Amino acid sequence: MEKKTEKYDVVIIGGGAAGLTAGIYCGRARLNTLLIEKSLVGGLATYTNEIENYPGFPDGSTGLGLMELFQKQAKKFGVKFKGTDVQGVKLEGDVKVVETFRTNYEAKVVIVASGGKPRLTGAKGEAQYLYDKGISFCATCDAAANSGKTVMVIGSGDAAIEEGMFLTKFADKVIVSVMHDEGIMDCNEIAKGQALANPKMEFIWNTMPDEFVGTEEHLNGVVLKNTRTGALQTVPVDSCFLFIGYVPNTEIFRDILDMNRPGYLLTNEKMETNIPGVFACGDVREKFLKQVATAVGDGAIAGYAAEKYLAESEIFEDQIMGSELPGIVFLWNAVMPECRCLLPVVEAFEEKYKGQIKVTRVDIYKSKGLADRLNISEVPAVVFIKDKCIQNVLTGEISLEKIEALIK
Amino acid sequence: MKEFTLDCMGEACPLPLMKTEKQMEKMEVGDVVIVQIDHSCAMKNVPEWARNQGYNVEIDEVDDGEWEVIIEKTK
Repeated sequence: MEKKTEKYDVVIIGGGAAGLTAGIYCGRARLNTLLIEKSLVGGLATYTNEIENYPGFPDGSTGLGLMELFQKQAKKFGVKFKGTDVQGVKLEGDVKVVETFRTNYEAKVVIVASGGKPRLTGAKGEAQYLYDKGISFCATCDAAANSGKTVMVIGSGDAAIEEGMFLTKFADKVIVSVMHDEGIMDCNEIAKGQALANPKMEFIWNTMPDEFVGTEEHLNGVVLKNTRTGALQTVPVDSCFLFIGYVPNTEIFRDILDMNRPGYLLTNEKMETNIPGVFACGDVREKFLKQVATAVGDGAIAGYAAEKYLAESEIFEDQIMGSELPGIVFLWNAVMPECRCLLPVVEAFEEKYKGQIKVTRVDIYKSKGLADRLNISEVPAVVFIKDKCIQNVLTGEISLEKIEALIK
Repeated sequence: MKEFTLDCMGEACPLPLMKTEKQMEKMEVGDVVIVQIDHSCAMKNVPEWARNQGYNVEIDEVDDGEWEVIIEKTK
């Protein structure tokens, strides 16, 4: 099968809160934008039944409902959606390639918003019972199928306890395996108090799963290992929910993008990765707090940064480096008087060398992107460019005579 | 290369996944099944499961809240 090629300004990998927000910003900036999502648009937020802390929704919202609104807004601004997974990327150079099994998407900017996926326990028998065979990661999805049954929850963080309490509305009994000592849980105090008081919830302290057991078809028990004594106990359950954190979806970026040891991508505050034109936002980044609210902030920055990057690329390639004539670039900052007073000097120079030297003015007040590309850290500065190469740089005292000397 | 359609409209988890698994067993390499889904929960486990099996998966949103998951049996 021959692969198709499609061209976009921006390709966003991942359709969670961060990717959708980046899409809204790119779409609104009239960039030709494609968002690729491998399963349900909305990402991890759709696994949460109630989102109570996202501002603007005083009565709360379901994760799915909130993400549907995000998607609707992105669609309104012309973002296109593709439901498939990304198999590989080529990110170096001006044209980046995002590969799926049928199509290669070429883009000037790639925004990585691939988020995380649930972490597995690594216990024996786990792979055999994933998804519909008894081990689940989504209480919202699978709660109804557990009406009247006994289920186990692994973990004691916010997700584990809150989803565990949600499961008690359906299941007869929810057994929680906690690795800590009795009474110690990773979740917030309110959830902890409610969970301990919930008559349908039972806690087995100091334990971790050692093995998942059952028939060929379905899980019917979990063997827990006591972390202190090493003793094993088999607990019969109908299904088991894992809430032991997440691992980032960054396998395809290994050895391409900078990441920390667990695999979270490293960015600066502009969401830039180590490769120009590649941004990362949301849970896939190394950061302090992973919430819908912070993902939205990340996505907005990435979308805005993408737009700036594209605009600057155009100026840099067409006006600054693409000119047949030799040129000077005057880099200044509109809020600095010492820069502003040089404008008449630059104008006089432009007039004197009309038709011989092309003059470009770059105000760095809003973005230092072009200054970075020209390797300029201080303004005012003048850069002389000839034959598409930087020939000379002038900083400090700038006068008409000095600019003339620069181009000689 | 045959193409099959699996109507899972109105069905909640884990039914669509169970039906998809049964259907895949019957198919030969190169065959394609189009699973029609309107429960968002199945949009999580059906594509995920199929990819874990190593099959090619693509999703089309045919309408608001209605999807077709296209799975190609590759081995």
